[in-house]
Amino acid sequence: MDMPRDMQADHQASETDAALLARYAAGDPAAARALTARLVPRAVGYAARLLGDGAEAEDVTQEAMLRLWRAAPGWRDGEAQVATWLYRVVTNLCTDRLRLRKRRPASALDDAPEVADGDRGAVAGMIEADRMTALQAALDALPDRQRQAVVLRHIEGFTNPEIAAVMDIGVEAVESLTARAKRALTALLAGRREELGYDDEN
Amino acid sequence: MTMKTDRHQGLDDLFAEARATPRPPSQALMARVLADAMEVQPKGVSAIPLRRPMPRPGMWQRLAAVFGGAGALAGMGTAAAAGLLIGFVQPGDLSALGDAVLGTPLETVELIPSVDTLLDGN
Repeated sequence: MDMPRDMQADHQASETDAALLARYAAGDPAAARALTARLVPRAVGYAARLLGDGAEAEDVTQEAMLRLWRAAPGWRDGEAQVATWLYRVVTNLCTDRLRLRKRRPASALDDAPEVADGDRGAVAGMIEADRMTALQAALDALPDRQRQAVVLRHIEGFTNPEIAAVMDIGVEAVESLTARAKRALTALLAGRREELGYDDEN
Repeated sequence: MTMKTDRHQGLDDLFAEARATPRPPSQALMARVLADAMEVQPKGVSAIPLRRPMPRPGMWQRLAAVFGGAGALAGMGTAAAAGLLIGFVQPGDLSALGDAVLGTPLETVELIPSVDTLLDGN
């Protein structure tokens, strides 16, 4: 599987998000491109983990970015990290969507993409895809707050204080949510260890 | 205990795989986000909204201010037009009255004495 890399933003790497946002607010179109290349892949990946749905994740990301663009002229440097702010908006938008989804008949939980099993040459790839599907299904089964905390900690790579800022809770609450989420995920995935290809490893 | 550690290890492996295989956003999404950015981007060199300059008063407003408002100016305009009309028509009775008052025949009347100084002042 190819690992997608974001080469466009490399030359802008030294500039902070806040500096780029200030240049955007001053009318620089290049800053908009750089911020989009830097923030959108992360935001959409995070939203997809929370929602378990790629199309909805894209809508949420577009909305969150639009709010960022609108906030740009009044942005005060040092008040908040741009990434933290964006993750918070994405988190809240996802929570709203999940709440709406619960009111309607649920159908999305089992919508994970099917893996065709006719192709015997791609067993490793299939197992990998299957593992990711299993992980997503397990994440989907978690309560919202636990899912947010564990995804931010273990997939997005945030520190606990950063997660506390995103979720607007204390660091201890983050630790508690993450620990409970990991226990729940372990239990959810325990029954699938054999089919996920872990037999060969021990 | 070891079983539990193994299970967490499996979970950590899954997280590592998830981190290593990010889902790239579609080009369509990138285009949509950029289009939004361009649409709401503040135009011009400065993001700080400038105070709108007060509009410079026009000639009539300045003239009216000199004479104490537009009403006074309208009254003066009417008087001037009437004076002009009288000057052109030269009613016989009025000429006689003018001659009687001034003692000499009246040829010209200066309606607004030295109007240039009034305009130069502003």
